[in-house]
Amino acid sequence: MTQKGETNRYDLHSRRRRFLGLDKDQALKGLFGGNALVSIIVLALITFFLFKEGVGFFGQYRQDIELHRRSGIEYVEIMKEQSAAFTDLNRYLNSIRGEHATLLQEQGMAFKDARAELKVYEEFIYAFEDLGYPVSEYALEMAEVAIGARDMYEESANLREHRENLLALGRDEEAADVEVLDVDLSLFVGMLKEGEADFLALNDALAAGLLSHIEKLPVIGIDSLDAKMQRFAELSRMFVGELEGYESRLAEWDPDLPVNMVSAFGSFLFGKNWVTNSSIQDWYGILPLFTGSLLVATIAMFFAIPLGVGAAIYVNQVAKPAEQNFIKPYIEFISAIPSVVIGFFGIAVFGQFVREVSGWTILSGFDIFPISERLTAFTAGCLLALMAIPTIFTLAEDAINNVPKSFKEASLAMGATRLQTTLRIIVPTSLSGIISAVLLGFGRVVGETMVVLLCAGNRIEIPNFTNGIGTFFEPVHTMTGIIAQELGEVVNGSIHYRALFMVGMVLFLISLLINYLAQKIVLKYQISRG
Amino acid sequence: MSTNAILSRERPSQGLGFHSKPSKAKTTEKFVFWVFRLGTYFILACASVIFLTIFFKGSQTVFQSEFPFINTEFLLEAPQTLHVFEHEGQSYEMSDTNFRIFEEEQGVDIKTSTYAYSGGGIWPCIVGTVLLVLGAMGIALTLGVLSAIFLSEYSKPGKTLNAIRLSILNLAGVPSIVFGIFGVGFFVLAAPQFAFSQDAAGSFTELGNTGFYFKFGWGVSLLAGCFTLAFMVLPVIISASEESLRAIPQGLREASLALGASKWTAIRTNVLPYAMPGILTSSIIGVARVAGETAPIMFTAAYAMRDQLPWEGLEKWSDFFFQGVMALPYHIYVVSAKIPQNEYTERMQYGTAFVFLVIVAGIALASILLRIRMRKKYRW
Repeated sequence: MTQKGETNRYDLHSRRRRFLGLDKDQALKGLFGGNALVSIIVLALITFFLFKEGVGFFGQYRQDIELHRRSGIEYVEIMKEQSAAFTDLNRYLNSIRGEHATLLQEQGMAFKDARAELKVYEEFIYAFEDLGYPVSEYALEMAEVAIGARDMYEESANLREHRENLLALGRDEEAADVEVLDVDLSLFVGMLKEGEADFLALNDALAAGLLSHIEKLPVIGIDSLDAKMQRFAELSRMFVGELEGYESRLAEWDPDLPVNMVSAFGSFLFGKNWVTNSSIQDWYGILPLFTGSLLVATIAMFFAIPLGVGAAIYVNQVAKPAEQNFIKPYIEFISAIPSVVIGFFGIAVFGQFVREVSGWTILSGFDIFPISERLTAFTAGCLLALMAIPTIFTLAEDAINNVPKSFKEASLAMGATRLQTTLRIIVPTSLSGIISAVLLGFGRVVGETMVVLLCAGNRIEIPNFTNGIGTFFEPVHTMTGIIAQELGEVVNGSIHYRALFMVGMVLFLISLLINYLAQKIVLKYQISRG
Repeated sequence: MSTNAILSRERPSQGLGFHSKPSKAKTTEKFVFWVFRLGTYFILACASVIFLTIFFKGSQTVFQSEFPFINTEFLLEAPQTLHVFEHEGQSYEMSDTNFRIFEEEQGVDIKTSTYAYSGGGIWPCIVGTVLLVLGAMGIALTLGVLSAIFLSEYSKPGKTLNAIRLSILNLAGVPSIVFGIFGVGFFVLAAPQFAFSQDAAGSFTELGNTGFYFKFGWGVSLLAGCFTLAFMVLPVIISASEESLRAIPQGLREASLALGASKWTAIRTNVLPYAMPGILTSSIIGVARVAGETAPIMFTAAYAMRDQLPWEGLEKWSDFFFQGVMALPYHIYVVSAKIPQNEYTERMQYGTAFVFLVIVAGIALASILLRIRMRKKYRW
């Protein structure tokens, strides 16, 4: 104690006030440290929470798929697939007639005469349609059985849970009143399986009917249409050939085949369907959303990379200082436009503009134009390009600016022109920075929500990549868009809710990956200034 | 000026007959630079088209030709249904309240065609946006700046610090909708809410017999929105503030410490004043981002329609924080995507977009100008 008193004599801050045993400096350090701790905990919490909510999805999804199999809905879907293939055939046949009708109309034939002309093979079409009825009716009937079984099973599961909850609360009397049916799914599946012979008989009848029917193929008398008729006959024969495949799949189907976590995982990552609130079966496959996001981002980057990097090169290497002082803040300013405003511009002005341009006669050479949709991947992509450009521009300009001046001077001194210096010295030297700028721009585009929600058309389907350029003009749905669209209507803790969390997690991981790559590239290829 | 004059000024050798025509390399250079130039100005033109369209069409809603030249109804009233009708040979367009007064004055029932969301104004949206921004920035700046001071001034450099820094930087790039979905799961549905009395709906559970009530979830509320937005900008603010703190030369701190100042005095007098411009700029950018984002508030704070202003009809003070609000960005989304389109809604859309753009762009412009000024002021 005396020692302390002694030091105090020489201490300039002897009147220092103490709070909880800490002096002012320590208290402040504690305050700052506490804040830092809170921030870090919160940010860690976000990551943890996303994972926690998301990971529960797979267990639920596995159960869901298992129920789908055990209730026999999967079995019925094979039948439905077959009848859908038949419907496709029917549609093809009808399209021939439609084409014929427009052809006649173009020739200036009166409506009545045209009808008479078409009437010749109308019988053939109707008879063809009738051929498919027994099978599709049968499939519908079976679907009702399977769905009914599934619904009963789910209801009884709900009731059982309710009863257990009541028991847990000690309300035994109420619990006793809850009647729970024991639903044995195998009974229903047995019913389905018993009918298999009937279905096979129907199929045989269908095949025989089809083959004899196409013997009576009508001749229209127009070469192109007759060729299509021949093609139709060919397709019909192929369909008959495929019937066996469906039948063997039905025979091989086993309701007790276990569904493991891997298949739930695969069904999420590689599933081609995202179907929610369906009466038959909900599917949560991320592939259509992922490809949609990717397609939109590709279009955006197609425009944003050349424009953004080009502008960065121009501003840093070519522009006069006055121009620089105007262009740089302007482009930075673009990044401040709220995305919802850009999306609104897309809906109100740009979508319409794209459709009108696609109707111009210069473009009539492409058979994909004019496009029918106003809101497509292309519309959203163009607008997103404008949002990615400021990111790419600012970072790429920084990277170019970081190239040591001596590099440029050396090159100019060797007699290279400014262009040669720019393209062969400056750009290659700053390439790592430019690539990471592009990556971060890509990250921004993939994570953007409002523009794609408003302008991408929101059709959940994998884009048809066989269309060539036409693919870019299809409406798509995206990962960010689906969260924004469906999060408002989900039940807390339901499988749908967790599926959206999983989509959020995929987005989270993608953005982390992009950031990581960008940082790696910058560090790895940093210019040595020795 | 003739070409000769230009050439001769650049090249004294002109008279000698060298370089009588530009070399191939020079021609290519000119061509390529022109391509770059056109590309750059194309970007500016695209952005200008967006600005001009919204400014031109929006100003028709916001401004008017008669005194007071600003459409006060649009700025100061709540969104309402628009009534369009003809009465005694004259056609009228009126918002719901005005229409009722008019009907009473005339004493007749008038048949009208109505358009949802097309009448009235956007006052509650402006109020809601301002409240969200204030709340979010209050939380984010306190946490962010203080954390940045700790990370750059007090913490010991090492692997842990680098890892923290890296993860904060990575979180800055996470899409805003991911923060939105986090906000829904955490604040709206799971965060505990405490109270000293039961509410009208009886949704609270009492903790024993303590007179202390709680329930899970803040619901769609101002508070949930503020926190979601705050955590969205938090990484941006921490990393930007820390950067500007670390940009202060070490010598300034050392000089101050050498004169006997305590650590805090050194920071307060020799670090913070010089880092302030950088921190300020980053926080203004944060404000622009918070004000402009739609995705995080869609499910955490925003209502498509609410009759009362946030301070009206409160039962107790805490209700202020646990109520949903209208917000400008969400209102734009609602009027442009969720309701049937017609010529009357278009006015509302452009008007809202105009006001929103002016607010956000004003904030962003301020930060850009500030940064340019500050860059000139401090250099070492």
